[in-house]
Amino acid sequence: MNPPKTLRVGLVGNPNTGKTTVFNAITGSRQKTGNYAGVTVEKKEGRKVHKGVELIVYDLPGTYSLTAYSEDEVVARNFILDEKPDIIVDVLDATNLERNLYLFLQVQELGVPVVGAVNIIDQAESMGIHVDLKLLSALLDIPLVATVGTNGSGVGELLDAVVATANSPRQVHRHVSYGAELETEISAVTREIEKDTEFSSRYAPRWFAIKLLEKDANVSHKLRQCGNRIAVEALVAESIRRIERHFGRDAEIVVSEQRYAYIRGGTVEAVSVKGRGLSTGSERVDAVLMNKYLGLPIFLLIVFVIFQVTFALGKYPSDWLTSLFSLLSASMSGLLPAGVVRSLVVDGIIGGLSGVLSFVPLIAILFLCISILEDTGYMARAAFVTDRFLHLFGLHGQSFVPLMLGFGCSVPAVMAARALKSSRDRIITIIVTPFMTCGAKLVVLLLLAGTFFEKYQSLFVMSIYVIGVVLALLSSLLFRKTVLRGEVTPFVMELPPYRIPTARGIGWHVVDKTGQYLKKAGTVLLAASILIWAVVSFPKPPEDSAKYASMSSRYSAEHSGASEADVSKFIANCRAEEELAFSAAGRIGKGLEWAFKPIGFDWKIGISAITGFAAKEAVVSTLGVLYKVGGDVDDKSASLKESLRADKTFTSLVAFVLMLFTLIVPPCFSALAVIRAEIGWRWLGFAASYMIVLAWGLCFSVYQVGRLLGYGG
Amino acid sequence: MQLSAFKNGEAFRVTQVVLAKEVGKKLADMGFTSGAEGRIVRSALFGGPIQVRILGYHVSIRKVEADGIVAEPLYPIATHSASLVTP
Repeated sequence: MNPPKTLRVGLVGNPNTGKTTVFNAITGSRQKTGNYAGVTVEKKEGRKVHKGVELIVYDLPGTYSLTAYSEDEVVARNFILDEKPDIIVDVLDATNLERNLYLFLQVQELGVPVVGAVNIIDQAESMGIHVDLKLLSALLDIPLVATVGTNGSGVGELLDAVVATANSPRQVHRHVSYGAELETEISAVTREIEKDTEFSSRYAPRWFAIKLLEKDANVSHKLRQCGNRIAVEALVAESIRRIERHFGRDAEIVVSEQRYAYIRGGTVEAVSVKGRGLSTGSERVDAVLMNKYLGLPIFLLIVFVIFQVTFALGKYPSDWLTSLFSLLSASMSGLLPAGVVRSLVVDGIIGGLSGVLSFVPLIAILFLCISILEDTGYMARAAFVTDRFLHLFGLHGQSFVPLMLGFGCSVPAVMAARALKSSRDRIITIIVTPFMTCGAKLVVLLLLAGTFFEKYQSLFVMSIYVIGVVLALLSSLLFRKTVLRGEVTPFVMELPPYRIPTARGIGWHVVDKTGQYLKKAGTVLLAASILIWAVVSFPKPPEDSAKYASMSSRYSAEHSGASEADVSKFIANCRAEEELAFSAAGRIGKGLEWAFKPIGFDWKIGISAITGFAAKEAVVSTLGVLYKVGGDVDDKSASLKESLRADKTFTSLVAFVLMLFTLIVPPCFSALAVIRAEIGWRWLGFAASYMIVLAWGLCFSVYQVGRLLGYGG
Repeated sequence: MQLSAFKNGEAFRVTQVVLAKEVGKKLADMGFTSGAEGRIVRSALFGGPIQVRILGYHVSIRKVEADGIVAEPLYPIATHSASLVTP
């Protein structure tokens, strides 16, 4: 048989072992990325030709084990089981071999050839840890190669070993010996599984037996395909009972213990340690950053700086992009004849694109900061210092960063929730993040509070911020107790040694995350903004120029000092209001008056609130149209404030309710698109309904109680 | 004695993990198995997580998780280390 020309290589390893640097060292820049179906776990693939053999390298998620509890682990395991790569490379951290070999042996049990790349061996030596690779390789009967991923040394030898091992797979590996008691049970179950020969050709029977004894839910499910299922299940139940009686602890724990005991048999002879075998630099840094009293203030300071850098620095490129787009829309307006096409291109497409792209600088800067925190190893420390407080509300230490970023913008905040490994924690964090008052909501709050609560403006704005935080915490507690109930996910988290991040690694993260935003949120968002444009612009009221002509002469007569421009501005506003009232959005607003009335809104306020679903700033511009101010309005425009105050339905109570409503209703379309990309339609639907119900319910209570107390005006 | 009862800086040897299912299995996977030696490094404010050194690396666990680990105290210098690295 000729040696194969193409080899499919799976790259596995514990997190923080330098797996990515090894991947980069092997494949160079020939990489492409994507996601595994249905999960937010990243999928990376690269190619390399080594001595005439083409290697396709798949970078699998970093894991410590291959249980069915974590998404990453299931993805890595299913890849090996279903995609059947020709060979696996397991990147092992030389400073921490015991825990790293634990994964190696599990991969080997799956029945694929494995080569171990013992990485950062230079660092181990400097810490006083000496590894006798030859001896260890012989003791455990596994192929091991030393590598230093950061400078690429040992990669050639690693690839030689990969090609050699793949070309001459040894059919029988020496198994992990789990000790006499466990081995008896394992072989009994294995024999029972092997009775279905077709099934046992698909899954390594011994591995399958071990996983069944570990009570692995995923594997138990797969057992349904086995013809001898009933007998196997009965035997497994009996075996587990015997194991638990003999060892006095749960079978899944016994398996782990025996595996570690087997590893220790090898490491105790092949690994020698001088001194404490620890990176003392990391301990010194931790003494400050993790200090019992300084840890939290330092963390808050770091978040504050990130916040400032992202939103202050990001503002400039964001503004440039926005002005570039207004330039573009101005020139398009000049090129295209007035009408539906121009309106679609200028307001729908260019407006939508500008919305999508203006977030790009924010996302890029934010992920630059976050990647630095992640790659240095600080992220785990941040979770450590904040976990106590957040855990009270059913959140996780790592929820803090997304929540904090939510004060700026939900789009990057939701994306930052990826750091959470448990999908339940991630879903809760993402759903409550929009309750943090973002920059766009602030614009609405400033206008309303500035108009109706003049002297107490900041107090009322502040109160909305506080209400948002309280709602976020209480909602997560509610979800944890109801829809996302379940066992508490473990907070067993490695605190990796601090490392200096590489520019390449950081740059790669930033490009990748920004690209994902553009690809996933961008398409949905563009479609949504075209839809909103249509809803606000159609249907058009019939043209009635005679009416406007008479209106304009009446206006000129009533306002003697009015200039030509004033008159045309007034008419443009009247026309805009009429068009909006006639449009689908206007009809929706009027049609929903029954729903808005109990919370104190008339149809005008209702439409403003509805357009806020697209983008929060739209509440202000719609109010501008409806209260005939026209042109560009912002929170400082005096004439809008005057006309709002002149409206009798717009009492200060209604203004407060509208502030509350803006805070709680689902976030803007950009944020919704990102939420969908992260947790799917189903959870997005749940979150949006929850927010609408909560917004209405709370606004109703506040409005009705307020009226009873005589604030209705 | 429970691991949560150890003070900062104290060394221990794990006897048994009494938790099972996801949390117990995760602890066992991360090296909290009988015979493993380690040291309590520090604890966070107000009964927050604790930082533990085990198998030569640092890990953070919650108090409830530490409650589920039974360990015996190790006195300053362990002479017969079953583990890779002395605590």
